[in-house]
Amino acid sequence: MSKATADWTRVGDRFYRRTQLYDSIFDPDLELENYIVTGAPYSGAVALYRDESKIYSFRGSKTAKSSIDLYSCAGKLIRRITWDKGRIVAVGWSAEERLLVVTNDGTVRSYADLQSDFSPFSLGHDAEEYGVTSCKFWSTGFVALLGNNKLVAVTRYDEPRPQALASAPVGEVISWTVIPPEHTSSRSVEVLLAVDGTVHVVDAAECEDRGLQAGPFRHISVSPNGKFISLYTDDGEVWVISSDFQDRLSEYESKVKTPPKDLQWCGNNAIVLAWEDEIHLVGPNGAASKFDDYNSFVHLLPDIDGIRVLTNTVCEFLQKVPDSTEEIYRVGSTSPGSVLLDAVEQLDKKSPKADDNIQMIRSNLDEAVDVCVRAAGQEYSVHRQKQLLKAASFGKSVLDLYNSDDFVDMTEVLRVLNAVRFYEIGLPLSYEQYIRLTPERLVQRLVNRQQYLLALKMSEFLHLPVDRIYVNWARQKVRSSSTDEDSLCEEIVRKLNGKRGVSFEEVAHAAYDEGRGKLAAELLEHEPRAGKQVPLLLSVGEEFVALDKAIESGDTDLVFYVLLNLKKKMPLSSFFRTINSRPVATSIVESSAIDQDQELLKDFYYQDDRRVDGSNLLLSEALAAGDINAAADKMKMAAKLLRDSKEYTAQVAALEDAQKLLRFQEAFEKDLNEPFVGLSVNETLSKLIKTGNMKRSQKVQTEFKVSDKTFSWIRLRALVSRRYWIELEELSKGKKSAIGWEPYFNEILGAGNTKLASLFIPKCTHLAMAERIEMWLKCGLANKAGEEALKAKDRNALEELRTKATGSAQLDIDRMIAQLQKGR
Amino acid sequence: MAAHPAAKAINTQEITDKARRDLLQLLEAVRGKKNLVLERSLAGTIGLFVKFSTLQEYGVDKVFFLENHNVDSSQRNVIFLLRGDNAKTVRTVAEQIKLVRSESKIDHEFSIIWIPRRTRVSDMVLEEHGVLGEATISELALYFVPLEQDLMSLELESSFSDLYLRKEPTSVFASATALMRLQKQYGLFPRILGKGDNAKRLADLLQRMRSEEDVNASSDPSKTYLTSFGLTPSSVVENLIIIDREVDFPTVLATQLTYQGLIDENFGISNNQIEVDTSVLGGAPAPPQQQSGTAQPPTAATKRKVPLDSSDKLYPSLRDANFATIGPTLNQTARRLQSDQQNIKQQDQSIADLRSFVSKLPSYQAEQASLKTHTGLAEEILKVTRSEVFSAMLEVQQNLLAGSDPSTVHENIEELIARDVPLKTVLRLLCLESCLSNGIRSRDLESFKRQILQAYGFQHILTLADLEKIGLLVPRESHRGYLNPIAGAAGQTATDWNAVRKSLNLWIDDVQETDPNDTAYVFSGYAPLSVRLVQCILQKSYLSGLVNTRPGSTPPTGGGWKGFEDTLTRIRGATVDVTQKGHDADASHARKTLRGSKEGPKVSVVFFLGGVTYAEIAALRFVSGQLEKSSGRRIVIGTTHVISGNRAVGAAVEKRKFVE
Repeated sequence: MSKATADWTRVGDRFYRRTQLYDSIFDPDLELENYIVTGAPYSGAVALYRDESKIYSFRGSKTAKSSIDLYSCAGKLIRRITWDKGRIVAVGWSAEERLLVVTNDGTVRSYADLQSDFSPFSLGHDAEEYGVTSCKFWSTGFVALLGNNKLVAVTRYDEPRPQALASAPVGEVISWTVIPPEHTSSRSVEVLLAVDGTVHVVDAAECEDRGLQAGPFRHISVSPNGKFISLYTDDGEVWVISSDFQDRLSEYESKVKTPPKDLQWCGNNAIVLAWEDEIHLVGPNGAASKFDDYNSFVHLLPDIDGIRVLTNTVCEFLQKVPDSTEEIYRVGSTSPGSVLLDAVEQLDKKSPKADDNIQMIRSNLDEAVDVCVRAAGQEYSVHRQKQLLKAASFGKSVLDLYNSDDFVDMTEVLRVLNAVRFYEIGLPLSYEQYIRLTPERLVQRLVNRQQYLLALKMSEFLHLPVDRIYVNWARQKVRSSSTDEDSLCEEIVRKLNGKRGVSFEEVAHAAYDEGRGKLAAELLEHEPRAGKQVPLLLSVGEEFVALDKAIESGDTDLVFYVLLNLKKKMPLSSFFRTINSRPVATSIVESSAIDQDQELLKDFYYQDDRRVDGSNLLLSEALAAGDINAAADKMKMAAKLLRDSKEYTAQVAALEDAQKLLRFQEAFEKDLNEPFVGLSVNETLSKLIKTGNMKRSQKVQTEFKVSDKTFSWIRLRALVSRRYWIELEELSKGKKSAIGWEPYFNEILGAGNTKLASLFIPKCTHLAMAERIEMWLKCGLANKAGEEALKAKDRNALEELRTKATGSAQLDIDRMIAQLQKGR
Repeated sequence: MAAHPAAKAINTQEITDKARRDLLQLLEAVRGKKNLVLERSLAGTIGLFVKFSTLQEYGVDKVFFLENHNVDSSQRNVIFLLRGDNAKTVRTVAEQIKLVRSESKIDHEFSIIWIPRRTRVSDMVLEEHGVLGEATISELALYFVPLEQDLMSLELESSFSDLYLRKEPTSVFASATALMRLQKQYGLFPRILGKGDNAKRLADLLQRMRSEEDVNASSDPSKTYLTSFGLTPSSVVENLIIIDREVDFPTVLATQLTYQGLIDENFGISNNQIEVDTSVLGGAPAPPQQQSGTAQPPTAATKRKVPLDSSDKLYPSLRDANFATIGPTLNQTARRLQSDQQNIKQQDQSIADLRSFVSKLPSYQAEQASLKTHTGLAEEILKVTRSEVFSAMLEVQQNLLAGSDPSTVHENIEELIARDVPLKTVLRLLCLESCLSNGIRSRDLESFKRQILQAYGFQHILTLADLEKIGLLVPRESHRGYLNPIAGAAGQTATDWNAVRKSLNLWIDDVQETDPNDTAYVFSGYAPLSVRLVQCILQKSYLSGLVNTRPGSTPPTGGGWKGFEDTLTRIRGATVDVTQKGHDADASHARKTLRGSKEGPKVSVVFFLGGVTYAEIAALRFVSGQLEKSSGRRIVIGTTHVISGNRAVGAAVEKRKFVE
């Protein structure tokens, strides 16, 4: 076993290590220098396509056909996409391993999950006209640079929508890159364009010149955490600056005449420059190291915590040696972790030194165990993983109290990592990458590679849900299997039934996409969510089932959706028949038609013989109508609808009255030159009285059979509101009132005319004496109140009044009291 | 206990915070300055959880309402923030986008944020108009908006008319989704109880969603881990009680007599705010009103928005009290503040005294301002309640509620019509009668209808038709349901109010308003049926004690509706009683152990489908207070929206007139 430090290199005061992940990657005949290579983040798949700009030897028509080949990191071919649609400008990956292929005419094809067919979208008119020059990708989107220096961004792939960014400066873009939205202060993507001698920062709103002079910059690259930018100048210098362009952090002179083919970040603190078969690693403060032992062309595949170097023969991972690893393995290290590891080796040799070691680090033994556990996670060699864990385990056994959770977790993680690093699978995840990727997405990646068994085993091991795996398996099965539909359906149902959370809808969808409609329908019956069945049912032509399922789901949006589709497809009469038997559908159609399509509603009410509704609809139209004649016509029609049946006589009468009223009002308007239309019967009456047209008001009263009570109230209120005191006084001479006299008193008093109000007090004969006294008092007539009391011979009331009265009234009351006493 | 554990059980503040975060995040996603186009009804709702100044910080330049094609093109970015349920709204958006695009020279970036979710119909309509690709579409899952710590509302203003007039179940679905989200956070409601046909629909939908949730959860890769074990019964929520508004229309129709209720009746609270004339608040005498009863005199006085929530110094202690007690309380406060002021004046000699005075000043001033506001409001309300028309109306209402023969009040109602009181007031009384006695004798009804049409205009043929559709104002013949003895659990079509009034003690003669001992105080005698139903579940012994004064009768025990089944069969609508158990017994057991074995304080969620009134909220708070004292339990109220009699009747009232 080689030493742990064998592949370490010192750069400045840090160590970097090159871990060989796999060897004999590609066919030796494959001329890697003629290919463009991009890798999915988190050690995902690698896409290769031929660089059209390079000349290559002709090898017969077979290989001349261009294609995009997807390989695992270990060089296993996953998929070959033959290409004949235009010139490829860029190929990129999203975080969930979605492959994006951009052609120069602005068409983008997006291949989800490595297996399925693509979905295309376009970058818009400008892209078509000027062509796409290049693209830069980040985990959830990309930016395309067009021939006219315009930038178009796509920020999501589930619903791609090209978005033009602010216009960039003219001039040749020498190099460019993007800062992903998650790392910018504006939370939207920013583009760095190296034009002429400077760098411009472009986002959706503006374009700003950062005013650098040392350009032109051949390469520009942003660190994985978005904090730093590295630039490669024409005179062979590498600059590292902060991404806000405020601080210049380090510089390095490569002393090479030819500019490097590629410049990438290795983690967040080093930069890799790549020439044909040589790379330079530039660490902080300009320290650098050269690796030139590659015997063929190299490609750089940057990742979040390091960089993968890919050649024909090897795939290796270049990263900064993790702190825990460095602490343990660094030559001459005396850290507790290192001592603990040594102790285990001594133990194997049955040497007493083991115990000495333990005693030496006794006080920080827990720390030593932690470090060993962490270092184990960083190791690719199973042997060293075991050794470190053994050390940790040994240290643990000496400790009295130690929380073993981290240890147990790490052993689980390592089992998973070792399984997926296996060359057949080819996912050389580092611990860091695994944590960032999350176990769920790792399972998804296994599913993408059709490693269903491993995915299942892993999910069970990590207690993850397994439904996605089954669904994916079934979809793949539907796509690839050629067995007859019945047995296929049976097989799928047998496998999937009873599994929690399995969505048959997705499988059915896959079947439908493959043109297996019957299978789709059969599978759909097993879908537990009514709502999810609907769209597919609509596409397979099962409209009625779809409608029922939608209603069953309770989701009105779905019901409405189905209804809109139905209405488009079928004749109106059968549409009505369909909804007629389904009350929910009916009410949705009704309520949406009310403000959109009244004609439809009219037809519906007619066909359904809902006369009152039909009539009301016409009345509502009458209200909306601009002029009286149109309104009257509509009302005539409304009444006609109801006339046949006895049930609605009252409503017919009301409709006729309404027309009659309009005619009256029209006449009044002509005669009196005042607006009347729009008033109710009572309001018309009131207005007529207020304007002094008593005759007309009486005509209206009789015509509309307004009761005397109502009329009296209207008259009273109208007269009072206009302060027509004379008319009111006239009324006080009447013998009878339909509403009694009290209201007269109250209303007139309310208007402030106490004198007139008092006229009505004696008429309120049915009221009790006390109330009348109160009324007199309200008018300020204490003496009258006294007389009232006197009439009733109520001494107490008089006494009480006396206390309230003042001035002459008091004297009057005194007199009355005396009178009462005398009368006794 | 300052922070009662139960108060933390369902943390409504979290919902507010999340809504704000989500909205701001969506706004942030659009780079640069932007114009925001809102649906008018949403403006207040948004205002509940985010201030306009905050929106400005996030680049919002101007805010427009969607209505009259007024979107301007001053900014490149235009964000629409709308409810996606309504196809009409979607169409308007599509038209606006087209309009702006054709008129403006700049290349606009459109974004649409749908609340609470993006609908298929919206996509379809946008596609038909050819603008689907033009806009970035996202959704803001805004369901419950907390109005108070114990009150969450979906703020669906139209849900009453949707449910009962148009019979359209959109708000049932929205409610189910909202409750489902609550369940996802706090665990399954261990028991779902409810009354009413729509309550049954909602409960069914909740169960359906639960079974579908398993599948949903797993198709959403970001959440798989959390929900992979399925939902387990909650350990903080005890039960969910769903009250379908249809079960208890009378409570809505009756005039609320709590302070908050009367403010709502007179000024109309929307989103915890009212708009009043500045003169009212200034304490200056308001201009004489022509008609007592109309809420707003048509003066051109400037209006001011007054926030009414627990941030106010006095409001929390005032709002749920019967209005009769407000005057004295305000007086007391005024005296206390005055004496404080005097104390300060006497003391301000030393620097230390001055400092302590200054530190007290803000709170003192806030209290003073609040006192001024509420005195102004109370005076304004007093003007209304003292009016002759109001007492005439109240007399009719209380008689009806107490169960007297409705024909005795007919004359009073006719007089009110003749006196031209607002239409809604009359309709509320008539509807109240109709609801309480299962319809009005058809001859009387025809006569009332005629009078209404003549007094308020023939356009109200539509109003009356709609009221009948809702079931608020019907001729008696059409309801024979409650005489049918076999209807049983399937649900009655009508309530036997006389029997229920007796068995649940809906009318209390000697009600105490100042120091209430029963929920009946909110209506000065009438105990709302909806709240009594809740008490059937939560305060069994109290309620049966009210009815059975005989000693020796044992109060019913057991959960759910037990003990009141007989009464329930006399109330219209289906009865719901579902017990929810977790899939995985182990998981729910584990959850229980994690939460600690002792039974903590529990929360009952009372959900009003179709709206709740402030009077009911007050009554439920009263019940909640009693529960908290006796067993540490608490009630959290959920609702589709806050309703009042005027709003309920207003759903039917035709607003157009015949005009030339």
